[in-house]
Amino acid sequence: MSEISKPFFIWRHLNKARWLVLLTVFLMLIILPFIHVYQTFVASFSYDLLEPSEKSLYNIMEMLTTPFTNDPANGLENVKGTTWSGNFFGYQISDPLAVAGQVFSGLTFYWPFILTALIPVVATLLFGRFFCGWICPATFLYELNTTLSLWMHRFGFKAGTRKFDRRMKYIVLAVGLVLSAISGSVLISVIYPPAIIGRELYFGIALGGFGAGLVFFVITLLFDLLVARRGFCRYLCPGGALYSLLGRYRLFRIKRIIENCNDCAKCNAVCEFGLDPLHDDFGQECNNCAACIAICPTDAMTFVTSISDLEFQGAGHLGKSYKRSQDSGE
Amino acid sequence: MERRTFIQSLIFSAAALAAASLPYGVARLLAPAYASKYPHHLRPPGAIADDDAFVEACIGCGLCGEVCPPKCIQFDKRQGGNKIYTPFIDPEIKACTLCDKCMSVCPTEALTETAREEIKMGVAQIDILTCYPWVDRGVCGACVTICPLGEKAIKFNFANIYRPEVIKAGCVGCGLCVEVCPHPSLPIAIVGADQGTVMSHRVY
Repeated sequence: MSEISKPFFIWRHLNKARWLVLLTVFLMLIILPFIHVYQTFVASFSYDLLEPSEKSLYNIMEMLTTPFTNDPANGLENVKGTTWSGNFFGYQISDPLAVAGQVFSGLTFYWPFILTALIPVVATLLFGRFFCGWICPATFLYELNTTLSLWMHRFGFKAGTRKFDRRMKYIVLAVGLVLSAISGSVLISVIYPPAIIGRELYFGIALGGFGAGLVFFVITLLFDLLVARRGFCRYLCPGGALYSLLGRYRLFRIKRIIENCNDCAKCNAVCEFGLDPLHDDFGQECNNCAACIAICPTDAMTFVTSISDLEFQGAGHLGKSYKRSQDSGE
Repeated sequence: MERRTFIQSLIFSAAALAAASLPYGVARLLAPAYASKYPHHLRPPGAIADDDAFVEACIGCGLCGEVCPPKCIQFDKRQGGNKIYTPFIDPEIKACTLCDKCMSVCPTEALTETAREEIKMGVAQIDILTCYPWVDRGVCGACVTICPLGEKAIKFNFANIYRPEVIKAGCVGCGLCVEVCPHPSLPIAIVGADQGTVMSHRVY
């Protein structure tokens, strides 16, 4: 019997860390508009003129921010913006799709802006589509949506399980960029869920009313629920297409340890993107979310550094079909 | 290639293109053609003068609005067409205080950092047939008092110290005078920088 290699124990817990990161990003997108509203109250010295609800908001935000700054009007500028484009402790970080859309809409290269996408692009080259699994605020809601559909399944609801061609999203990306160039505006941000979520939360909280993007986002939620699980991310999202292209030769990827695998196919069931980890088919779509590592009952999934997936390794050595083939072979 | 497969692939690619542009069509339907309900559609300070170039540069990230201390920057949320999610200021609701935070935060230089005196959002235009001091219905001077640029932009008429006069070279069009004007019909408004500082009542 060959020596069975154990995956590093931390990998099992990455899925929990991922949920924590998703929750943190989502809560940041909610609290940043509140901070801005509080800053406007402070800057206008208008406490005595506020409504009672606004006063309670003022008091709560004052309580939360007093430990960090003495000058709320100017001292809370370290984190601003959304995942589409934001300031993070002095660094301007933009979504690569924002840069691509702006380059196409303006048909010029404005390097100071293009370089703001440097960190995400390098991280995507290393970790693949990690943004989709780890940061995207829409993913948080989409995964809760999946959970909801599984929960509703108990009450007889049939979630949609259609399959389309995965390459459709590249066409969406290309069409979006071409339409951006034609219309002369960054039109691609109109259908990009993380940009929509960040914007609509800001509009809804600080500017007193949601915009049109919320309707589109609800349509995508219904699409996921009724047509295909995580269908928008898998088949239509232009940002996902860009990240998939960038992360095709990513350095860190998940691998199945064939000696430990018992062919239980839980990894296939849990994979949000409908990939096929059981048959070593991760591909450029894998977003390194580590859900398959967390659910694997026999520690058969691990992270490796390699720029390509393995070919199909055959049936898992703990599974029945492998044992049967061994017996017949002997 | 056979004709049959060629036609098949042609039909397939046409269908794929239609399916791919479907979400943009949905988004376009939700955002009908650009029609501002405000007569004076001001961009934030430091905006690129050509509005098409501004829309090309703006990525709709909302950072300018998120740092604005008076929260005067609004966004085309539902109306907008290709200008959707671009910022604008309506001085009748809330006017710019020229704090230049939005200019420093803009990632694409759609809002370029500009010195306070060189900002060109527009120019204030006074309707001298409505303004209280100009029609001898009292004394006011609110616009002159509030102006952040002082004597260079708006000052009292030489003959009557309560009649305001805008100086075109100095006015940057921040709109504080519009916000503060007590007259219900707002005899002062921000218009394009190429227009005059006194409203014309000529009928063309």
